[in-house]
Amino acid sequence: MSTETLLERINAYASRPDPYPLYTELREHGVARQDDGSYLVGTYHEIAALLHDPRISSDVRHRTHPDLRDRPEDLPPSFIAVDDPEHDRLRRLAMRHFGPPHSPGRIDALHDDIVDVARELVDGLRGRDRIDLVDDFAYPLPVTVICRLLGVPREDMPEIRGWTNTIIASLDRSPDEDPDGRLRAAAQARVSMAGYLGALAQRRRERPADDMISALVHDDGPEGRLTEPELTTTLTLLTIAGHETTVNLITNGMLTLLRRPEALERLRREPELMPSAVEELLRYEPPVQMLPQRTPLTDVEVGGVTIPQGVPLFLVLASGNRDPLRFEDADHFDPARRDNQHFGFGSGVHNCFGAPLARLETQVALTALLHGLDAPHLVEDPPPYRHSPILRGPRHLLVTGDVAAGAGA
Amino acid sequence: MQIVVDLNRCQGYAQCVFLAPRVFELHGEEALLYAPTPPDDQAERVRRAAAACPVQAILVGERAGAGAGTDVR
Repeated sequence: MSTETLLERINAYASRPDPYPLYTELREHGVARQDDGSYLVGTYHEIAALLHDPRISSDVRHRTHPDLRDRPEDLPPSFIAVDDPEHDRLRRLAMRHFGPPHSPGRIDALHDDIVDVARELVDGLRGRDRIDLVDDFAYPLPVTVICRLLGVPREDMPEIRGWTNTIIASLDRSPDEDPDGRLRAAAQARVSMAGYLGALAQRRRERPADDMISALVHDDGPEGRLTEPELTTTLTLLTIAGHETTVNLITNGMLTLLRRPEALERLRREPELMPSAVEELLRYEPPVQMLPQRTPLTDVEVGGVTIPQGVPLFLVLASGNRDPLRFEDADHFDPARRDNQHFGFGSGVHNCFGAPLARLETQVALTALLHGLDAPHLVEDPPPYRHSPILRGPRHLLVTGDVAAGAGA
Repeated sequence: MQIVVDLNRCQGYAQCVFLAPRVFELHGEEALLYAPTPPDDQAERVRRAAAACPVQAILVGERAGAGAGTDVR
């Protein structure tokens, strides 16, 4: 009956609240060729094989028909969009100031700051009979933390937010609409954001502060420093990623718990379960539903199908996370689940750079909300969703109840 | 608290080092070193590190031996 491809149906806005039945259909198809020549993969073991296959590129310039309209010509792609060895070099230079082996304590040292930010935000909800968990909590928390980590001044956060929204909007590929306007706006936003971050880096060169931008511009490591264009695209990537994904993880997490009062109660009683509960959220409702940028460098056979060189390849991580061939009772949310090697942060060499920060933020955020909100419940279910099928999450999550009763506890 | 890391499974994602940097350490880019009997004040960090391991190579037990393999939490 329907002539729409599975990818078009997944992309359709009406599918946003519950794309999981479409993913079940996708897994039944195996490796699924779409009418436009692209391929979708939604089964766990095939996704795992492709994520670890060096013949699968993250650089869309390897496509037979690459769409580069949102890429300004004078900015290089960031490490998320290039392959090794270039990806490895760029990522390693950034990692030197984010994590081990060079800076092992950076994220751990942020823990108390994150707790303070979460507490302040919960305190700010005191006396309100209705809150929006997105605008009042899940958005400001990671944005404040990423800006503090990088060294972006608080007063510049609204401008950063504007550019980020424009760039994120360009990731959507609605087939029924000409995307040129959105792509041009995104290219312009990338140039503006790079200009802003480049100027900020210059200020830190002259007057270093205790932040990641200062560390990057003063790096005296054996491999040298990022070039100026590399620095600004890396900072743009970290800023956007720090804005977009954790917001959805926190919001999807609260939505999942508010729908399951018994799980919510259990986490209140057993706070030591929070780390595994967050892993389960990453499996059950991952903020990045699919990787849309992969391309085979040669014909690649997987699941009995040959995916031709140069075609767009979509790895639907959120579908792999629900694959019953890999996970027992895959559609059940179990905060104490063992054997949970989910794709919430991808896998392989491109696995999420900020994963440790996102984990910590979400554990702290959900703990603060569970203890700060008394008898919260959803105002509308499903909530209104943001547009993107890739970075999927509620636009608003209205909650009511005795919001402040337990605040400050 | 006792920790056992299956170093045959470990792939050097280093998530544990971020979350419990006083217990786990990266030697060079990939080789993992760790303190098998961390002090009690590290217990929460160790639990976060074990949950975060993408290949689930970290076993945490209140004591080593038979119990360690069953991941006592």
